[in-house]
Amino acid sequence: MSKIVEVQDLVKYYGSGENLVKAVDHTSLCIESGKFTAIVGRSGSGKSTLLHMIGGLDRPDSGRVLIDGKDIFGLKSDRLAQFRRKKIGFVFQDFNLIPSLNVWENIILPMGLDGRKVPVEEVEEKMEYLGLLGKRKAMPAMLSGGQKQRVAIARALVMNPAIICADEPTGNLDSQSELEVVDLMKKCVRDYGQTLVMITHDEGIAQMADCVILIEDGKVVSQS
Amino acid sequence: MKMVTKVAYANMKYHKSKNILTGIAIFLTTLLLFLVPAVGFDSVELQFAVTNKLYPTWQALYRNVDTDTVNRLRAHHDMETYGLRSDVGKIANEEAEISMYYMDETGMELYRIELTEGHVPKEKSEIMVSKGMLDSLGIHAGLGDTVRFPVQKYVGNQLDYIQETEFQICGFLPDSEAALENQTYMALISREYMEEIIPGEEIRYRFLFRVSADERTEIDKLKDQIKGIAGKFGISEAEIGFNDDYLYANYTDPAQLPIICLIMLVIIVAGVITIYSIYYISMTQRIQEFGRIKAMGATRKQVRQIVLREGFCVALIALPLGLAVSTVLLKPLLLYFVNMAGKSAFRQGYEEILRNGECNLYPWWLYLLTCVVALVTVYLSLLHPMQKAAGISEVEAMRYQEKQSGSRERKGYQDLTVGRLAKTNLYGDRKKSVLTILTMSITGMFVMVVATALSCASPSESADSDLYGQYELSLDTESGNQEHPEKEWDRVIANNPLTAELKAQIERLDGVERVETFTNVMVESDLQYQGEIAANQVLGLPESCFEELKKGIVEGKASWSDLLEGDKVIVNKALLYWCPEVKVGDQIQIRIEEEGQMVSRDLEVIAIGDYRFGLTGFCDLIFSKEAADSLLRQDCTGSFQVLAEKKYDAKLEKELQELAASSGLVAMQTWKEKYDFWKNSMNITQIVCIAFLCILSMICIMNLINTMIHSVHIRKKELGMMQAIGMTDAQMAKMLRMEGLFYTSGTLLLTIGAGSILGYPVFLWMKAQHLYSVTHYHYPTEAAVIVVVVMVAVQLLLTTALARSVKKESLIDRIRFSE
Ligand SMILES: Nc1ncnc2c1ncn2[C@@H]1O[C@H](COP(=O)(O)OP(=O)(O)O)[C@@H](O)[C@H]1O
Ligand SMILES: [Mg+2]
Repeated sequence: MSKIVEVQDLVKYYGSGENLVKAVDHTSLCIESGKFTAIVGRSGSGKSTLLHMIGGLDRPDSGRVLIDGKDIFGLKSDRLAQFRRKKIGFVFQDFNLIPSLNVWENIILPMGLDGRKVPVEEVEEKMEYLGLLGKRKAMPAMLSGGQKQRVAIARALVMNPAIICADEPTGNLDSQSELEVVDLMKKCVRDYGQTLVMITHDEGIAQMADCVILIEDGKVVSQS
Repeated sequence: MKMVTKVAYANMKYHKSKNILTGIAIFLTTLLLFLVPAVGFDSVELQFAVTNKLYPTWQALYRNVDTDTVNRLRAHHDMETYGLRSDVGKIANEEAEISMYYMDETGMELYRIELTEGHVPKEKSEIMVSKGMLDSLGIHAGLGDTVRFPVQKYVGNQLDYIQETEFQICGFLPDSEAALENQTYMALISREYMEEIIPGEEIRYRFLFRVSADERTEIDKLKDQIKGIAGKFGISEAEIGFNDDYLYANYTDPAQLPIICLIMLVIIVAGVITIYSIYYISMTQRIQEFGRIKAMGATRKQVRQIVLREGFCVALIALPLGLAVSTVLLKPLLLYFVNMAGKSAFRQGYEEILRNGECNLYPWWLYLLTCVVALVTVYLSLLHPMQKAAGISEVEAMRYQEKQSGSRERKGYQDLTVGRLAKTNLYGDRKKSVLTILTMSITGMFVMVVATALSCASPSESADSDLYGQYELSLDTESGNQEHPEKEWDRVIANNPLTAELKAQIERLDGVERVETFTNVMVESDLQYQGEIAANQVLGLPESCFEELKKGIVEGKASWSDLLEGDKVIVNKALLYWCPEVKVGDQIQIRIEEEGQMVSRDLEVIAIGDYRFGLTGFCDLIFSKEAADSLLRQDCTGSFQVLAEKKYDAKLEKELQELAASSGLVAMQTWKEKYDFWKNSMNITQIVCIAFLCILSMICIMNLINTMIHSVHIRKKELGMMQAIGMTDAQMAKMLRMEGLFYTSGTLLLTIGAGSILGYPVFLWMKAQHLYSVTHYHYPTEAAVIVVVVMVAVQLLLTTALARSVKKESLIDRIRFSE
């Protein structure tokens, strides 16, 4: 199996002196292409910080993140943004939809930013897949939590990114929607051959993963 | 309750950027609220201080009072101070006018006469003179010297034959600059001397006095009181002289208040609009916060208190700062205005008083007033936000976690671009967008309207309108002045100095194109305003003025032959102010005195016309010169209007001046004088207006800054989100710029569009009111360009600064900790 992400000796500290927090502390790991990798660990152990750096949202103090063998922090910030919208899709715990845009616009936003013509049929197909076809013109404020998260997933998928980074995507959902959402994402990995990296503290979800990485105090404790 | 203050204080710190803006707006509002009335009040106060320093201090005088009446007046219980002056005669001199007075000591005090040397005349032969007077007589003499003067005493109103009289100089009076320039001097003699040359029963005094009154006394009431006293002693109203300078300086004139109130109202409105919109704009975001506070058990009243206290906390800092800065600014500002006003005798006094602090420029009540008005402004602008915050239901606040904008479906775009993103954001917050544009435009339109008024006020055009040509030589007449009976109109025309020969002389001068002759006839008419005759001059114009006459007609019709007939007139529209009942077709009866007999004539009003002052002067009834000339046998030429090649020519002016002076009672007015006058008075208005507008614009720009900062601040997370899914920094900067451009272009469209349109009726109004003698419309191009440039520059700077400040915070921080 090929490695799509390679994290090398990554360090991210916050604060200094007594308040020094070693959010990510000399961490190295690999993530394999086309697999579902779950990151687990106690709250505050540095999972989100690690994921943000894998996705190129945050810059480390030292160390490297290679995606397809390329050092992403070697890019300038605008190039990194462009790289992000092509290669990586994000799904956050609190959805982060743009309230002034309707569902359709929220989903196609990354394409708009990329200056691309929208492949309407392809997007509609994904929306159908996610059960959002009827909500095209709805505004985020009208949607339930599960629906919002599905819009967020659609947005992450629409560019066909190689990697989908999800930070506790089910944290704000009831258990019914939770299962639906994780199932959907797993299906995507399988059907479209994408790589899913998901933070979760749900045992059940972690068990569905191909690989589980346990983090403690900013360090990888185990990887299976 | 203490909790409420704590929350309010915490809120104030938390919403720092908004509160700094509110603070600046309150600060500027305070500045204006203080400076406008302070400059108004202080300049009046200063003028009074100067008046009190330089001018006589009697309130009024009664002329021609005999000794017996003087004694009875003295006993009147209302008299606070009184003095006497009597005009005994003159000292004959070719060049100078030297009056000889007797004055008692209070009289001298009331006239502010102070000796430079010696003592007041006591002995019969003693006299007090001035150096300038001696010079004009060509006499060199010092204190105690004996001199001989050619004295002409008054017998009734006439001057008697010259009598060489010997005096001993007992004291010296100072010469004022004005006295030296005009060559008018006075000499004071003793009571003994007066009683010697004028029989006791023929002595007439001027009784100078003050009645008891305080500064709150209204001038009209005071005048009525003084007239009342005169009535009791059989003194006619014509014999009363009021010292208006002194009266206005010391007692209340109710007329100045409304203007200051109006300006303050404008400031309050601008302040309220701005502070209100600053609060309103952050309201949507803060609804959640207030909802949470309410959910925790705060009552409506407490929520209202929190909003109010937060506002007042800011005012507590901004208000004293505004007062302090305006206190510092006031004096330099006043000095600046005084210097602007050009040179005058007043100015020195002004500066002296200002520099020596002889006048209280900072009355406590002005501070109190500013505080109260500023706080009321803050309160007014907080009313609606308070209501809104208090009215939020807890559920509402909790439920709409993601802002409330757009809870209905929206069609939206198939494809997205950065431009469309900006658009949807503005549309989602359309209420806020419209509010910002509207509030900024209101101020902007105000700026444009005032700028139009300013640009229409052109000193050169006003001067054109005020004078027919470039120079006017007219009869120097004055009616009802006891001092100068020779200036009565009928006396002057008996030997009219505006002769055909003078006209020919003028025409021969270099640079003169032509000379028009206007005829003026003094009449009495049956038109009255408050018991006084309203129309008392008939104007006869030459045919060359007919075109202008015809053009100005607003009602009715007139042909030149009508105007030649002599019983048909055009009425000047200015008359309608006094007599609004006058209509076309009316008959007006005029009476003319012809050799002691009153001859009456009926004139038909055939038209009403609106004319420039230069054409009609104060005349209300206008027809042809031929018709006017035939009214009386005497030569009624009223003025020569000189049209010259150049607007101003110093040499020509001097030549004309000489001709006028040598002709006797001829007064001259020049275009240049009018131009200078208008230029001066417009200058001051202009500077005051521009300063005022600048501060108003600054208040308005606060609004734009607030809207932009706020829209970025509350969208921090959103913007971060967009960047997380791939928006580049350049794209974000572009989006922000487009949003800002929308506000700017919307505001500019309204400001320039509506402002220009609104400016035109203001011009028409000014023209109709003859305000500043405005005649032509000038579009305020400069102001428009400045407004556009400033707005665009501010907006560009702002968006650049905002985009940069957003970038400063790391992307992840924006996504993670957005509240
Ligand atoms: N911007 C920041 N400033 C300071 N400390 C931070 C910041 N971001 C994260 N941390 C700290 O870093 C540690 C790891 O955080 P995080 O990665 O969010 O943990 P997790 O996602 O595992 O709960 C925590 O102790 C957190 O408080
Ligand atoms: Mg986390």
